[in-house]
Amino acid sequence: MERNNWIETILKSTNGIKSVKPSDDLFSKIQQRIQKDNKVSSKTVWLVAASIAVLVLLNFTILITKTKERKTSSTAYFENILNKSNQLYK
Amino acid sequence: MIENQFHFEKLYHEYKTLVFNVALNYLQNIEDAEEITQDVFVKVYNSLENFNQNSSYKTWIYRITINQCLDNIKQKNSQKRFFIFGKKSQNEAEYLNITTFEHPGILIENQEEATILFAVINTLTENQKSAFLLSKLDGLSNPEIAEIMQVSISSVESLVFRAKVSLQDKLSDKFNQYRKKK
Repeated sequence: MERNNWIETILKSTNGIKSVKPSDDLFSKIQQRIQKDNKVSSKTVWLVAASIAVLVLLNFTILITKTKERKTSSTAYFENILNKSNQLYK
Repeated sequence: MIENQFHFEKLYHEYKTLVFNVALNYLQNIEDAEEITQDVFVKVYNSLENFNQNSSYKTWIYRITINQCLDNIKQKNSQKRFFIFGKKSQNEAEYLNITTFEHPGILIENQEEATILFAVINTLTENQKSAFLLSKLDGLSNPEIAEIMQVSISSVESLVFRAKVSLQDKLSDKFNQYRKKK
């Protein structure tokens, strides 16, 4: 009996609960966060754009260097053969 | 844009108390409830343009609030698990204080009992806790809860019933401790 009464009292303890109002400066905090989020997003867009530009530039540079290397290596090969025997055919 | 801002401000003033109180009932911490209220309204602002009128603003905001609260609890639980292996931080005291939280909306003469009740509510499963809090503290009807939780009305009835049975069982165990203390 005592147990049931105690449980009942606990379960009824939230009866008459009142709404609690949030602090008055909450809206300005939210506005600040929204503005901050918007600022961050434009910053991120620029950061991504800059990263892509760097990546393209890097690829382009590597491509040019590789082509140059290939050209020089093929002329070096012929020079080597000519220097050895001074003739193209054996 | 200006129209959107005006609409957002209107929504904020209409639902700020609802969001704050749902978060307070879930998390039992004023700072966390304010943080969640901020998160919810930032989300509302960002999703306002894409809001489809399938449900009411109230249902939509309730859903966002509950999801934010559940995410917050999950995040805290994972941090708690980390503390078991890692270094203890100052924040840990926050977690331990949850059970001693005094809800500012509860009548002073009921504070002690309500603290016990909230501690036991926290041990319920996610869905049982949501259904019970929405039914008992927000006073919502089963169809309203079903729409918010996106489950059938019979599921809500079952969740609330099982939550009450579980609470009674757990409170019965608590009564033994209470008696020993006396």
